Amino acid sequence: MTAGMNERPAGPLRIALALFVAGLFALPLLWMLATSVKPVGEYMASPAALLPQAPTFEHYVAIGEARVGRAALNSVIVTVGATLLALLASFPAAYALARLRFHRRLDAAFLVFVLLVKLTPPIVLAVPLYQVLRTLGLLDTLLGLILVSQIYALPFAIWMLLGFIRDVPMALEEAARMDGARLPQVMRDILIPVLAPGLAATGVLVAIACWNEFLFAFLFVQSPANFTLPTFIATRINEDETLWGQLSAIGVLASLPVLALIGVVHRALSRGFASGMH
Amino acid sequence: MKPRLIVLLLAPALLLFALLTVYPLVRVLVLAFTATEHGFAEARFVGFENFVELQEGRAFRRAAWNTVAFALMATISELLLGLALALLLDRAFPGRRWITLVLLAPYVLSTIVVGAVWRAWFHYDIGFLNSVLRSIGLPGVPWLFDPNLALSSIVLVDVWQATPFCFLILYAGLRAIPPELHEAARMDGAGAWRRLRDVTLPLLAPYLLVAGLMRTVDSFKLFDKVYAMTGGGPGNATETLSMHVHRLAFRFFDIGLASAAALVMVVVAGLLAALYARQIMRPPA
Amino acid sequence: MISLRRTFFAAGFTAGLLLAAIAPAAAQDRLVIAGRDAAFGTALASMVTAYQALNPTVRIERLELPGGQLYERIALNARERARALDVLMLDDIWAPEFMANGWLANLDQLGGVQGPFVRSADAVSRGPAGQMLAAPMVGNVAMFAFNAEILARHNIAPPTTWTQVAAAGRALQQAEPGSTPIAFRGVRGNPIVTGFIPVLGAFGGEIVNAQGRAALDSPQALAALQYFLSLRPYLPRGVETWNANEVRQAIEQGRIAIALEFWPGWAGTLDDASRSRVVGRVNLVSPPGETRGPAPMLGAWMLGVAADSPNAARAADFIRFVLSAENQKRMAIETGNPPTLTALYSDPDLVQRFRWFPAQLAALEAAQPRPRITQWNRVESILGEQLQIALIGQASPQEALAEANRQIARAMAR
Repeated sequence: MTAGMNERPAGPLRIALALFVAGLFALPLLWMLATSVKPVGEYMASPAALLPQAPTFEHYVAIGEARVGRAALNSVIVTVGATLLALLASFPAAYALARLRFHRRLDAAFLVFVLLVKLTPPIVLAVPLYQVLRTLGLLDTLLGLILVSQIYALPFAIWMLLGFIRDVPMALEEAARMDGARLPQVMRDILIPVLAPGLAATGVLVAIACWNEFLFAFLFVQSPANFTLPTFIATRINEDETLWGQLSAIGVLASLPVLALIGVVHRALSRGFASGMH
Repeated sequence: MKPRLIVLLLAPALLLFALLTVYPLVRVLVLAFTATEHGFAEARFVGFENFVELQEGRAFRRAAWNTVAFALMATISELLLGLALALLLDRAFPGRRWITLVLLAPYVLSTIVVGAVWRAWFHYDIGFLNSVLRSIGLPGVPWLFDPNLALSSIVLVDVWQATPFCFLILYAGLRAIPPELHEAARMDGAGAWRRLRDVTLPLLAPYLLVAGLMRTVDSFKLFDKVYAMTGGGPGNATETLSMHVHRLAFRFFDIGLASAAALVMVVVAGLLAALYARQIMRPPA
Repeated sequence: MISLRRTFFAAGFTAGLLLAAIAPAAAQDRLVIAGRDAAFGTALASMVTAYQALNPTVRIERLELPGGQLYERIALNARERARALDVLMLDDIWAPEFMANGWLANLDQLGGVQGPFVRSADAVSRGPAGQMLAAPMVGNVAMFAFNAEILARHNIAPPTTWTQVAAAGRALQQAEPGSTPIAFRGVRGNPIVTGFIPVLGAFGGEIVNAQGRAALDSPQALAALQYFLSLRPYLPRGVETWNANEVRQAIEQGRIAIALEFWPGWAGTLDDASRSRVVGRVNLVSPPGETRGPAPMLGAWMLGVAADSPNAARAADFIRFVLSAENQKRMAIETGNPPTLTALYSDPDLVQRFRWFPAQLAALEAAQPRPRITQWNRVESILGEQLQIALIGQASPQEALAEANRQIARAMAR
């Protein structure tokens, strides 16, 4: 990174413009936050106003009564489960791929495969996956969602970890091997501590994607008791405009956890992708 | 490493791939040549009949066109805007990190939340955008119900959500350019525009490629936002390929036809993947 | 090492959570109801609250969905035997498909539901052997609504043919330039098709003929569509996105004078001065005719028990509760939901409140259902898309009908 001292300072016009653009991008979020605490009548009276006159938590109470908490819990279960599974399955695979010889050619094949999976729209897989899940008895279950999340989570996690593992010098492992340590021990004592930041970043990115996943959750879960937050929201988008307050409230709840992790995304995008491309 | 160990390490991932990706793709390939009388069971071989129907029907062609138009409009706008933002923020000032974080916020949100919010913003009578327009004396815009505008409105939402992604990638690219190069160009008397054209853009090319690739890929899959905002209408002005396959499969339960359409998507996806992989793997000149 | 222990702890915790989540929620006393949104949703919500108060131990879940989404959910649940839903709310046009496929439990074997219901609504609730496979909850019949005061102000007689409707639109617009006096639900799919069917019928056209063949390639259908599109200048901007809410509000606020289709289920607040500016001025009548007399169209919504419901007895009990005379009356008063029990149409309280009840009962008794075919959902979806494409001018009426007919023919052949 060539940041810092020798960078030229910005003029006031540039700063003002940057602030304005940031405000523009933040506006829909502020609107959502404001609408979630506005009484219905107030919104209808002046839709262009942003600041609530008489803030109320009625929408949050209403979605609480509609058991938004359970949908949030389901989302947490699916997200945590899917992330752990993705890390557990991707770590050994990424290790094997990173330490194989001829990795140049394997790289190419693997890249095409990752891209193909990433490019394959989820709806394409939805029909056969429906049958797979039914055969396994996992339709309409959270475990089924954890499983299908791997379609995108796994290649992504392997791809991310591959870059991190390659950055770990072989010498580190070889030293431990000399002392007679076996592979699981090497992984546990040497690799995982060194890779902790990489694993965490990978985990966070996978978790955000799983948290937001909509199509599979929408198609494969029928029971309201097993809805995740995106399905909970989608089944509340209807022609009744008076529900915008409630929708906004759910939106705020669904957005807070991912917004809290935005720093990690920032770092990963500024660094991870840049390193992964060469 | 011993081969057995490699297999052992790869086994969990391979198993999941086989079950969740390879098998479904093969099934799609088979189902595309069948007709099903009743939902997912009891398929009967019909040759290319489904593909003929896709080719004859206007809906599929329209959906394909919409998808391509969306992907092009969205990717190009996002790259240009992202580049502009990256150049704008490529100067030191206090609070820049915070602005970057705020800009990134839309990108991490659930697309379904985004769809719900913008659906409310676009509402003709009581939506936020039209209310603001009317309060300054302008007429309301038929964002989602003008067939010539609806797809662009969805592009607008995508631009709002994904420009931050392009911005960050390009921003990282800008910061990786050694300042000495700019200095040298300045010494040679190059103006700002020439420095951008001759120094910045060529060095940024790989970053532009990656950002463009990622955005094309996501645009190609477009489903959630359309589902939440227009359901594919008006007419079929915003029906995308994903929406079309969804309707064929989960509303009409015409699994054969849906699989044929899905197969076409996979083939296009495969071609794109190979194309991009070649670009990326090409040794730097 | 610490991080490793923490990882194990996290994994254990998650496994615990997972187990808790996967363990089937005691299926015995749960009741999952998949129902409509809007006024139907309000009515069902109030029923759920009342039923819950009487049966505090039952865990009731209610899904509130727009029509198209509701169909997708309940059809998928039935096809794939997901056993996730107990009570299904069905449009009468979906019933043939659900009945033919055995997706509905026989209510007669679950203790029956007390009638007598209005004839037409009763007929669509029964299977081929006369067994009750669903029970009608909403006695809707498509009516034609006009604001008598606005028409009288411009010396226009209430139209009885579609040609007169167009003429009235023209006259009203000339009297008030810039006004858009006519509306219907223009959303693609079910709404726009529902608006078009009365016109199609009056012009002598059919979607599917008696032999089950696609029949939109007739001159009558073309005449009907050309007429339908000729209304364009009199329709509000954005009518393609109008749904029930918009049509209701436009009539209630006096912004339009004529609604091509208006359902009694929307009329609950017409005479409510706190909401409506047209108290006592809007008339609901049978739809106009043209080359043929009017044929009122049935639009009943019913409740059925999913054939694979693990709680069929409980589900049937809930349906009996909702359809009792006492509760139907309550829903009518609270949400304007039109009852299905014949007796309620002569209930003094209701007749006093809804002055059009006698006319509504007559229309209901005479109402004809839409084509009773198992492929209706797909047929409607196809036609709904092509109608909208014609309406927004992306295809000529000939092209739209030809494309619709081609796709419908394929759907019917399957």
